Formats: sequence, structure tokens, C-alpha cells
Amino acid sequence: GINAEYGTPPHLTSTLNKQPNRFIMSIMEYNGGAVVAMVGKGCVAIASDKRYGVQAQTVGFDFEKVFRIQERTFVGLTGLATDVQTMASKLEFRTKLYELREERQMTPKVLAHLLSQLLYEKRFGPYFTEPVVAGLDGKGEPYICAMDLIGAQELAKDFVVTGTCTENLFGMCESLWRPDLEEDELFEIVSQCLLASVDRDATSGWGAVVHIINADGVRTRHLKTRQD
Amino acid sequence: VSTQSTGHHSKHQTMSFSPYENNGGTVLAVAGNDFCVIAGDTRMSEGYSIKTRHFHKLLKLTSKCVLATSGMQADMLALHALLRARLTMYEHDHGREMPTTAIAQLLSVSLYYRRFFPYYTFNVLGGIDENGEGLAYSYDAVGSFERVKYSSSGTGQSLIQPFLDNQVAKLNQLIRPDDAPPLNDVVDFVKDAMTSAGERDIYTGDSGDVAVIDANGVRIESFELKRD
Repeated sequence: GINAEYGTPPHLTSTLNKQPNRFIMSIMEYNGGAVVAMVGKGCVAIASDKRYGVQAQTVGFDFEKVFRIQERTFVGLTGLATDVQTMASKLEFRTKLYELREERQMTPKVLAHLLSQLLYEKRFGPYFTEPVVAGLDGKGEPYICAMDLIGAQELAKDFVVTGTCTENLFGMCESLWRPDLEEDELFEIVSQCLLASVDRDATSGWGAVVHIINADGVRTRHLKTRQD
Repeated sequence: VSTQSTGHHSKHQTMSFSPYENNGGTVLAVAGNDFCVIAGDTRMSEGYSIKTRHFHKLLKLTSKCVLATSGMQADMLALHALLRARLTMYEHDHGREMPTTAIAQLLSVSLYYRRFFPYYTFNVLGGIDENGEGLAYSYDAVGSFERVKYSSSGTGQSLIQPFLDNQVAKLNQLIRPDDAPPLNDVVDFVKDAMTSAGERDIYTGDSGDVAVIDANGVRIESFELKRD
């Protein structure tokens, strides 16, 4: 656990099994991870790595961080894994209620607003997760937005990034992205941005998944990556 | 240099003097078959302010070697002065310029000499060897160094390094090995990398210097970066 070794009194711990001082990272870096979303021509892409780790140890490689919350809207969440799962569940719950009442899909903009609300509600004891929303609205217009852990939205026309390697991702996206990318090009660009970035981050990687959303549907591809 | 409060362990926050300051900035080098391109921005910062927009981080050491240094500029100036002196002594003793491979070693020992009060500098050395082959070396603050095909250092390092991995080493790309890109393409590429870093890193910008080292000697040109 996060601080298990501080909890047990010394006379109850065995001197044989003493762990060496482990390096405690910040809470947002405890599990690691990366998500990127990009706008293309009439489409959006959202991608994440698949690592589930506890500090330096990797314990799973099928932990996708992108969730399909609505037909054409995805949410990507990085940060503390438990909060990633909790927020995804809360969003699923709220969107199902919305669908029952409104009898229509929630648009990405409204979803982002809801997410922002859910995060800010916990302003003084936040969820340790920084989400990204990506989707197409009713008219097929692309929408992406990022948020900090207390719900401050960052709207972008090009790309948004979140996770433990945001600097790497910013560098890659800033260099590789250009406007009006067609779907196939967008897929290649998003994949290269994610892969090059997570390969320089010890706590991200171990596989990747990319979703391309367009007016006709969603295409999901899993990438073959370095497994370290 | 700054004074900062230490308040980690005790209830009292004591102000203490720190001899180190990061003045920001980014440097990078790409070695070709018979040339090397090395670049650095010219912004010098302190905290969130800009001290000057015209501080050159590149130092021409010989007709075959250029050093680029990011980190603390006071230490950079001291280190450059030291190296200049040592190179002059070498030229007097040996009747010729010091070879780039020897300079690489000299820089390493000069940094390690200060192992217990280091130069706060992040160096990248670029040049050509005695046979005309392109060289690039990257260093840490205490002299650990490695010959590489490309490297970046400084505040924009995490933005640029994955881009270099992707575009120079072509990692994660399934393409046939190409003929090595021509010099002008590499120069343009280096400028693009700097520009991208300048977009997202607040400490990188104003203008950039690019040095090309090949059989014809050292040519340094300037290019504009965003001033925001």
C-alpha cells in the first residue's frame, strides 16, 4: 500500500523482511499513465497506454485508460488508478441517467461540463485524476478538452494531453500535428506521438490503444509496443 | 541565485542560500555522417522573468567542435572559460587544435573534478572527428558522458528528446532504412524541434543559434523564435 510501512510499530516488524527505503512519488505519479487526444478532419482520436503499475513495479498490461462513455464520446483519465476507475463509473452512471431522462445522447461539451462539476464538488479533497474528453457533437463537429484534478477546463482546437509524460507528449504533438488530418494520417500521428512519449517515461507504456471516432463510428486499434 | 525556505521536516521555515539557479533554455545536437548540427536558444530566465533575450549558449571551441550548455549560466561561463584556457594550453603544447574526441574526455574530467560542488550545467558537445565523421556527446552535471547520434538538454529536453527518437532514430516506425538525410534537411529539422519546444516550454524562445560543423569548418546562423 501507499504508506503501509509507516503503520506497523517497530517491535512487530521482522528485521529479516525489512524493505529498503522506497522512493515515494507524488500521488499523481503513483500509478503512471498517458492519454492524448487529437482533432482531425471530421474526426477525433484518443489514445492511452495500458500499463497498470505501482510505483516502479508493473502489475498489469491491460489497463486501458480510455472509456467509451457515449456512442461518439470518449473520456480518458490518468492519475491515481482507483480514481480513474471511480470517475469512469460515476460518468457511466450519470450518462445513463441522462439518457433515460433526455432520451438522447449527451454531447461531449455537456459531458465535459458534468465532469468538471463532479471534480470541483471535491475541491478540498479531490479525485487525483486529470481527464480528457474527446468526441463528436450532434453535428459531427470534433470536440476535445482537458481538465485538471479540480475541473478547470482547457479547450483546444488541436490536441490535449494528460498523464506522467505530458512534457514529452506536448513536444511530440506540437511537432507532428497539423490541421485537417485525414483519419489514416491522424491514426499514424497520434500513435507516433504516444509511443515516442511513453518510451521516454518509466511509468507509462506496456502497450497502447487508439480509438478513431468519426461520423460513421469508432475504429479501435491496439498497438504493438516495447514492453518495458 | 535564490534564497528559499526549507520547511520539510520541522515546523520552522528557515530561509537558506542556494548557490544554484536554473536559467532555463534548451540545447540539442544531431550528428550526421560527415557533419554535426548543434543548436541552442538564447533566452536567459530567472524564475518567471526574462533576464535577457540574447544570451548565447553555444561556444565554438575549435574549427571542428562546438559546445552547447544549458542550466545555470554563471556556471556555464566559468566552464567555458576553463575549457578555453585548457584548449589554448593544448594548442601551445601540441602545435595543433585539440581533437573533438579528446575535448569530450576533457569536458568529462573537468565536470567530475567538481563532483562535490558541481557545475550546474547540462552540456551537449558536437563536432567532427579527425576523419571527418560527425560526433555528438551528451553529459550530465558531473561528467557522465556518452557518444550519441543525437541528444537534447535543458528545460525543453523532455519535449524534444522523444521527437528526436521518433524522427532521427526512427524508433517505433516500420520503414525501410533511408539514405541519411542531407545537411539542409537536418538543419531545418533542428529548427523545427526548437520552435516546437518554444511553443510549450516557457523558458525556451526569443531566438536560436544553429551551428553546422563539417569539413568546411564551423558556420553559425541565427533564427527567430517566439518571444512570448
